[in-house]
Amino acid sequence: MEENKLSENESLMLITEMISKAKSSYHSNGTGAIMWGIIIFFCSLFDFFQMQFKFDIGFDIWWLMFLALIPQFYMMFKNGKKKNFVSYEETTMSYVWGAFGLSILMLMFFNNYYRPAHSESLFLMLFGIPTFITGGMFRFKPMILGGLICWALFFISLYTDLKINMLLMALAACSAWLIPGIILRKKCSLAAQQANGI
Amino acid sequence: MAFKELDPILHSQLRLAVVSLLISVREAEFTFLKEKTNATAGNLSVQINKLKDAGYIEVTKQFSNNYPQTICRITKKGIESFEDYVSALQSYMNLGTP
Repeated sequence: MEENKLSENESLMLITEMISKAKSSYHSNGTGAIMWGIIIFFCSLFDFFQMQFKFDIGFDIWWLMFLALIPQFYMMFKNGKKKNFVSYEETTMSYVWGAFGLSILMLMFFNNYYRPAHSESLFLMLFGIPTFITGGMFRFKPMILGGLICWALFFISLYTDLKINMLLMALAACSAWLIPGIILRKKCSLAAQQANGI
Repeated sequence: MAFKELDPILHSQLRLAVVSLLISVREAEFTFLKEKTNATAGNLSVQINKLKDAGYIEVTKQFSNNYPQTICRITKKGIESFEDYVSALQSYMNLGTP
């Protein structure tokens, strides 16, 4: 970029160009969403099968969620090292999803302590919050829809039993994270192909 | 109608590009700014120093995995000056329209 004198119009064009360049630098490849979608989908479905076919594996399958944190942190660390900027959206998202993770953890402790009925409904309600915010912030309709589906499933779960609620949780995981994650991944690989001129 | 004077620090192609990038992100490395502006490292470095001296950006130098890293952030003064610059530009543009 040369040091030329700018006209007012050129200045405005340059500002617009740079802001849009910075904005387009931040995009998610959907890996985190796909991973969480698969874990919640698998755990919910597994819990459903345990109740349906009356077998017990001897430990709570939901502990897998914590195991999934290891690759999640690894990915965050790896991507963080590659990145040469931090966007405002990214910072906001880490607070939103961090608050979500802590809320889930607190709800799990609450459940273990009081063992309330229909606590799965509260999980469904919580699933909807970060999903809806993320979708709204990035104007990503599949996630907005995913958040709304979680909240619709919350109402349904009030009238169904624990076994069916596990199926609803699996459905929520698919609509909130798995499907939007796959769409994001496809979009990301398409954008990479276009950037490489393939 | 009085003309608002355009800030000479910002009214330069590369410095304006850097500030426009920094206004959109929380912080950025030197490599990010270089990549987005297509400027040479030497020129970019000079312009970053001018912005830093004017108090528009803050620059942190650190080491990451044994590599030097220069991180730039816009300051409150930088944001205010950028906003003033844009509103001055708009007043010029409005004057030009019949």
